[in-house]
Amino acid sequence: MNADAGRAPRPNNYTDTTPFWAAAREGRFLVQFDRRTGEPQWFPRSLSMSTGRRELEWREVSGRGVLYSWTVTHSPWPGHEHRVPYVCALVDLEEGVRVLANLLHVDAGSLTVGQPCQLVWEDLGGGVRYPAFELR
Amino acid sequence: MPPRAEPAKDIAIIGYGETMVDLRTGRSSYDLAAEVLEEILESTGLGLADIDGLSVGETMSETANPFWAVYVCEQLGLTPSWLQLNGLGGASTIGGVARAAAAIRDGMCETVLVLAADAQSSNPPTEYGAHRPEFQYPTGLKGPVGAFGLLTRRYAHQYGNPDAALAKLAVTQRNHALLNPKGCPKLRKPITENDYLRSKVVSDPLRMLDSVMVCDGANGLLVTSTERAKKMGVKIIAHPTGYGEITNFNGRERLPDITETGFSVAGPKAMKQAGLTPDGVRMLQLYDDFLIALLLTLEQVGFCPPGKGAQFVLDTDFGFAGELPLNTSGGQISAGQPGLAGGGLNAVEAVRQLAGEAGDRQVDDPRNALVTGIGAIPYGRNWAVSNALVLERA
Repeated sequence: MNADAGRAPRPNNYTDTTPFWAAAREGRFLVQFDRRTGEPQWFPRSLSMSTGRRELEWREVSGRGVLYSWTVTHSPWPGHEHRVPYVCALVDLEEGVRVLANLLHVDAGSLTVGQPCQLVWEDLGGGVRYPAFELR
Repeated sequence: MPPRAEPAKDIAIIGYGETMVDLRTGRSSYDLAAEVLEEILESTGLGLADIDGLSVGETMSETANPFWAVYVCEQLGLTPSWLQLNGLGGASTIGGVARAAAAIRDGMCETVLVLAADAQSSNPPTEYGAHRPEFQYPTGLKGPVGAFGLLTRRYAHQYGNPDAALAKLAVTQRNHALLNPKGCPKLRKPITENDYLRSKVVSDPLRMLDSVMVCDGANGLLVTSTERAKKMGVKIIAHPTGYGEITNFNGRERLPDITETGFSVAGPKAMKQAGLTPDGVRMLQLYDDFLIALLLTLEQVGFCPPGKGAQFVLDTDFGFAGELPLNTSGGQISAGQPGLAGGGLNAVEAVRQLAGEAGDRQVDDPRNALVTGIGAIPYGRNWAVSNALVLERA
């Protein structure tokens, strides 16, 4: 069993995220957009932050972004002990949303704010893929 | 409501109580609350029947129980005509004072116990839900520690490395904790700036000594109308003269500057209502889950411009005998965080100081205090609730 199986997300925990996880299996990152204003939002919600209406649609985004901030985790969240040290980052996507995700395969000591990042998919086992980023 | 020329003094704080803060006491939140109520009744000479309002904070330890507030009444022998449960995290106590004042003014009750009790280190909480199981836990972000690591990194990028200021704050607060017999015994030993700088990095750049240690404990304030206090013949310690609060600040922004916090709204509002400017503030009792929060609070309430918090700290003597005393009981960072009762720790210290009862750490001429609260960690920003309360000595 993959050591990361315990990290698997619990889909549809608070709103319908089925389209996101279905696309994730195909390696596509979907973000909600307001149908009237065209504004994106992340994380997924049951209504639009832009209009307060439930008129949202899922659109694929580029996965390109820049590093807004990061922290190197030495004292892990339960279930992540085997990953220490690991980098949690805030990445601003080109489309204008900020995503919390792991930054993989980086030298944490040489990171700088504003560095270009690219979405990658991490295999958590059991067919679950989870979004992460690498430096571009 | 437009600002008043003279702040209203129709509401009075007439009592306070606090348990010791300690690790894994094995006590329940109810048991801790009982100790606070007893202390308040002893010091004011009032009885259970004199209290007809209860404002109690949500806890970590009892969070699975939706009847916590009602059961507190049953356990403590209170029969309130107004009951309020505050889910504002560390902002619940001063938020509770403001709500109590509104309820008293609206005639719903006369005398309110504003209570916070939490045995978090003995009875850790259950699951939080919402977006976290899908979009936070899989990343392994270490809760508040991780979020404040992200915030500290971004702050340092925008304004420069704040380590020297944080080290000074760590030592100042620890020196205060050494004088606080109710602080957590495990933390009651001196530290140096080097101890801070060399403490274990938990979520780089955040260190162990940037952070609170979660303990058990309880605290409370007794609030009534000035008129009622006089009728009951009890001593008035302080008046709440200004209050500001905001939840989910910047909550519709997609790419907010995470170094901007709700204190930019709540702080000036409270100060204006109290008719105060920063140079008129006698002491600060600021919410301190992490040291970096103090820099952001000072900047955004208006003690210094954005990004100048570190220099302001280096230029200011925050000791209890200094020019602007800060967190004179040691704060949560050095007295320990009694779970979600942590927001009451500095509020009770403010009232104790205004009463002139702070013993070895008493501030000279304690004419007013600014108290703040911070509650809950949102996704990818700083914190969810910011509030500020000005107390003026009676």
